[in-house]
Amino acid sequence: MAHEMTTSSPASTKADRSRLALRDILFKAGPLIALIALIAYLSFASPKFATHTNFANIGRQTAPLAILAIGQTFAILTGGIDLSVAAIAAFASATTAVLMTSPLVLFGVDLGYLPIPVCLAAGLMVGLLAGLLNGWIIATFKIPDFIATLGTMQVFRGVALLTTQGQSVPGPSSTREMPPAFTWLGTANVAGIPASIFIALICAGIAIYVLKFTALGRAVYAVGGNREAARVCGISVGRTKIYVYAISGLLASIAGILLVARLSAANALLAEGEELRSIASVVIGGTNLFGGEGGVIGSLIGAMLVGVLGNGLNLLGVSPFYQRIAQGVVVVLVVIFDQWRRRSLNKK
Amino acid sequence: MATSPAHALPDTVPEAKVLLRLRNIGKVFPGNVALCDVSLDIRAGEIHALMGENGAGKSTLMKIIAGEYSATSGDILVDGKSLPANFDAARYGIGLVHQELSLVPALSVAENIYLGRLPRRFGSIDWRAAERNARAILQRLGVDLDPRAPVGRLEVAEQQLVEIARVLERAPKIVLFDEPTSALSDSERSRLFDVIRLLKEEGHGIVYISHNLSEIMAISDRVTVLRDGQLAASLPIAEASEAKIVGLMVGQALAQQFPKFESDIGQPVLRVENLVSGTALKGVSFSLRQGEILGVYGLMGAGQAELAGAIFGLTPFDSGEIHAGETPLKDHSAADAIAARIGLLSRDRRQSLIPMQPIAPNLSLAWLSDRAMLSKLEVGREKRESADYIKMMRIRPPSMTQKLLHYSGGNQQKVILARWMSSGSKILIFDEPTRGIDVGAKAEVFAIMSRLVEAGTSILMISSEINELVALADRVLVMRSGLIKVELTREQLSQEALLLHSH
Repeated sequence: MAHEMTTSSPASTKADRSRLALRDILFKAGPLIALIALIAYLSFASPKFATHTNFANIGRQTAPLAILAIGQTFAILTGGIDLSVAAIAAFASATTAVLMTSPLVLFGVDLGYLPIPVCLAAGLMVGLLAGLLNGWIIATFKIPDFIATLGTMQVFRGVALLTTQGQSVPGPSSTREMPPAFTWLGTANVAGIPASIFIALICAGIAIYVLKFTALGRAVYAVGGNREAARVCGISVGRTKIYVYAISGLLASIAGILLVARLSAANALLAEGEELRSIASVVIGGTNLFGGEGGVIGSLIGAMLVGVLGNGLNLLGVSPFYQRIAQGVVVVLVVIFDQWRRRSLNKK
Repeated sequence: MATSPAHALPDTVPEAKVLLRLRNIGKVFPGNVALCDVSLDIRAGEIHALMGENGAGKSTLMKIIAGEYSATSGDILVDGKSLPANFDAARYGIGLVHQELSLVPALSVAENIYLGRLPRRFGSIDWRAAERNARAILQRLGVDLDPRAPVGRLEVAEQQLVEIARVLERAPKIVLFDEPTSALSDSERSRLFDVIRLLKEEGHGIVYISHNLSEIMAISDRVTVLRDGQLAASLPIAEASEAKIVGLMVGQALAQQFPKFESDIGQPVLRVENLVSGTALKGVSFSLRQGEILGVYGLMGAGQAELAGAIFGLTPFDSGEIHAGETPLKDHSAADAIAARIGLLSRDRRQSLIPMQPIAPNLSLAWLSDRAMLSKLEVGREKRESADYIKMMRIRPPSMTQKLLHYSGGNQQKVILARWMSSGSKILIFDEPTRGIDVGAKAEVFAIMSRLVEAGTSILMISSEINELVALADRVLVMRSGLIKVELTREQLSQEALLLHSH
């Protein structure tokens, strides 16, 4: 996106400037206002909406999407995009699920069931490595992020199919069900609030800290805001990309594991289409699709909007076919609005 | 000769028809008057050279004639009739041969010549006619090129001829050349001149922009000199000489707006030896001393931009040595250059800024170059230093939240300067430090430069602003075709000397 450098003098009067500041705040708060309006409408429209059970439900369903969206935020802030997040979620969680439901046999030696933390660590490691691979390809071969992750998306799905042999896990080759200590992650409530929400919030907290208070965060915004400027200031674009995609991959594996824990079953086609919903969440949340502007809080709000919209349409008895249409329309409208907003902001 | 009026032409061309007349053309860009009250005639069978310093308005004028820009004021008349705004130049017989080649490398010669207008027959493209006509046009130019050859495989000079053929295909009466020889070798150049003379004999009116004085003397019939967007003079070549043209380009000795300050010049801090980079730098050697402002002057494409890129580690170089103090820089990145306390103010400010962020993150960006990715930001220091620099450099508006894209060019430039000062740079490369900033901000930037050298910083000042170099530099290296042609000391430094050595 071409950011026009104005050579004319900046907003001259104080009134001018405060008017601009007000508009800035309104524009920024746009997604939040939309979320509140949607919740208010649904509370009227459906008696089942504004209940504790339903809110807990929305939380549980939205937490994995929110975590994917946090990773996606990093990628989009650098001016990239990670199309492989859902595939990584499936691959990583399938790894964890297979290890948990069948004993590990290495070189003919039966090691028995691995402890749950080891299975979790293995899943997270898969996500991290998959993300590193994305970053390495993008940094080394200098191909567009979009293309690189479009390719690896297929690769990771394929490897996930190999891992599960195309079956649901636990399935025919499994020797036990998912341990309850594991499914607890996806189903339990802590103080009446789903545990997965806490996990999403912890991820968000760390992500916000990284973006705001570390060199990496600055590098992310710099690379997305003006890659050339980042280079002139001695920031390695490639290294930044590797970190960003590693983070996105790691978060994708967390999202996948939470999803499997909620469903008590893994499957190589898990979370299909979630990459697009994660991108939608980020864009709805006000992050510039061309990089350099935005943040995690917006993406959380965006994910909630997507989640609440789906839930509300369900409660209102709208067919899933129409739901897809509605989601698509919302995304396009948001991007149109965003473009218009940015143009008017940058024009002053 | 001296008795004939300035606008009359020699008797050998008795009815030199005026093909195109510019009347009081003015062009204003936001914050910048590019052209003011320019009038001139372009006649049939005449090669009309357009000269002027960088930024004098030559290219703007060319683009107005070619209909790419519309003039803010004044008229363009063809056959005595005024052209409408946003006219289609080709319709009025005007063709522009661009400075940069605008061909599609993957397409064939014929396709490029007919780009978007391939001849059709029964609704489908008539390839045979296209190739036949393309060959005919090229033969008229005296070249034998295969119309089916992909343009990307041709020599630069051949590509230039294809570009000319494309313009000629539309049968223009006036052909404009914008620095056509900058990429050509001597023999290719003389071939191009043959083509231009041929066009002249066919009765075309030719406008020719070049920086090459001897070239202008050799080929043109009339020369018009622009200075600061105004017509300095328009005279027959017989009345011109190289010295006279240079004098017209420079104008009266400019008032010394920027008084030279004296600083103590110390030991060399940056040594460049025999630097070679592709065809852009062909063995450049110099040293920059402590507390010195070393100017670098040259025409566009003489190698100054590549020099800055090579020293700062943005573009790799083939051979040669760069030492910053005792640190050798070879195969280095910008991070290495920054570690060696070098800072770069790039030619294009947009290359250096994060436009959608406020001052503080822009200021501290270069601090990150040697930090670990997961290290903590110095948020407190960033805030403190931003506030300090805003005050010290009088950055307006003095805001910590306003996005940088809302600042004027001069204030943006101050932020970049503050960035390098805050990261402790001792060697600053200023590439066109005053481009696109207003006079007031210019004076402030110069004041800061003088404070910097006083404090022992060294400055490599690459500039095409002759008067600024004359006013500020302790020495000036004049570059031409990738070489340092001459080094002028403060005593030898003058606007005329810079122009003469660079052309």
